[in-house]
Amino acid sequence: MYSLLGGIFLGWSLGANDASNIFGTAVSSRMIKFWTAALLASIFVILGALISGQAGIETLKGLTSFDLSQAVISSIAAALTVSVMTFLGLPVSTSQAVVGAIIGIGIINSQLHLAGLGKVFICWFTTPVGGALITMILYKILAFVYNHLKIGLFGSDQLLKICLIISGSYGAYALGANNVANVTAVFVGAGTLSILEAALIGGLSIAFGILTFSRPVMETIGKKLVSLDPFSALMVSMAVGITIHIYTIIGVPVSSSQAVVGSVLGIGIIKGASTVSIHTLKNILLAWFLTPVIACLIAILITFGSYLEYTGK
Amino acid sequence: MFNFFFKKENRLEELIYKYLENFQLIYENFEKAVFSCISEPYCEEFNFLKEQTDKYESKADDIIEEINNLMYSKVLIPDSREDIMNLLHALDKIPGDLEIVLFMMKYQKLVIPEKFFKDVQDLIKVSLEACETLSKQVAGFIKKETGTRAFMNIIDKHESHCDYIEKRLIQKIFSSNIDPFVKLQLKELVLCMGDISDQADRVSKMVNILSMKRRV
Repeated sequence: MYSLLGGIFLGWSLGANDASNIFGTAVSSRMIKFWTAALLASIFVILGALISGQAGIETLKGLTSFDLSQAVISSIAAALTVSVMTFLGLPVSTSQAVVGAIIGIGIINSQLHLAGLGKVFICWFTTPVGGALITMILYKILAFVYNHLKIGLFGSDQLLKICLIISGSYGAYALGANNVANVTAVFVGAGTLSILEAALIGGLSIAFGILTFSRPVMETIGKKLVSLDPFSALMVSMAVGITIHIYTIIGVPVSSSQAVVGSVLGIGIIKGASTVSIHTLKNILLAWFLTPVIACLIAILITFGSYLEYTGK
Repeated sequence: MFNFFFKKENRLEELIYKYLENFQLIYENFEKAVFSCISEPYCEEFNFLKEQTDKYESKADDIIEEINNLMYSKVLIPDSREDIMNLLHALDKIPGDLEIVLFMMKYQKLVIPEKFFKDVQDLIKVSLEACETLSKQVAGFIKKETGTRAFMNIIDKHESHCDYIEKRLIQKIFSSNIDPFVKLQLKELVLCMGDISDQADRVSKMVNILSMKRRV
């Protein structure tokens, strides 16, 4: 049981950080109350993990073979990487940290499933691009429909609010389904948990993070996107949910933060405005490269450290 | 279907339409009051109609107060909240302008000389036509109907017409041989009457911008 603590901690921090990508805009701009968002996100994260989390777990556990101590090491390495990157102020992806740590273990074991890794890398690169494309397509179609709706100002306001709640819940479902693998897949690989147990424990730990510590992150990180008008915010929320869901079907855990940045860029392209600064883009690119590398190195270092013996000399 | 979840929004919508109905009552009463004063200064009817206008103006303040309270309880999404509050505050300046005109007429005991009757009547009539069109434009904006720009053009024409009458009237006042002190009083009154259409024009342009802003 104690060996699962590293994974649960990772799930908790994932829930605390990534819920803002789903409901941040709506909560920070007071379109939805925090507790409504947190409860919906928690319920749908658990449902997503239980109903659709299997594919991602299969992919990550298939990257290499683990024993229990290596599963614990990869969880700790990923959690440490997330902490270091957060400390450095770089936008961190838990998915990249976990995969980086698994690669470290794979290098130690001299056993890496390269085809699986290739699929994961391609998905990382296509997440923001996919987010941007989906946002642009959604925007064009739904803006046409929205402008031609025969409803008043109050009706369209209510419609936006309802759609934000629905798309946020869908995004939470997709987040749970996609990211639960980051939390507990290594323990399935080590044979400690069944897939269903992993999905349940992973989903619960993410939900716990959302309920206990997502409020400050939702209220601060979400504000970075507040300059978006309500319709654009809804498009970003929908596009993030769809993007993450597509990668869930493919079976690769991806970063919801990168999907959000891609979506916001998509809005910028459509409106001909600069929605993300060059500085933010540079940080994302840097974090893209650094996160898996640091996680891999930490996993290797911890593994070597665990082999050291005190000789008494 | 979702009405249960949006009780406050529905109440707010009701209040805005109530405000617009009341706005109409204010300018209708104002028109009757000014015209009764022109035909018979200091008459009972003028006093009664002035009091009625004050009463409706005070009711408008109460409605705005209730709307404010609803807004602070987080009704609507923030963008709409800000837009509607700014719009109502701008619109609410018009009843204030109407009240000032009646106040000047009553307490300065202004008697409009017969030679200016026609121009004053025209100025009031065109200004209130601008208010009537503005009321329709605001209701159309709330219902998200088309035609906001057309209403704005009509109000703009009324405002230009009012400016023309206002200048002509001031010129006539100063060319006449009435008491110089009364001349200044009348000039002040005409400028206040001119403010009505100016404010209607400002609000109408604001509605047009808000309407464009809401298109995605």
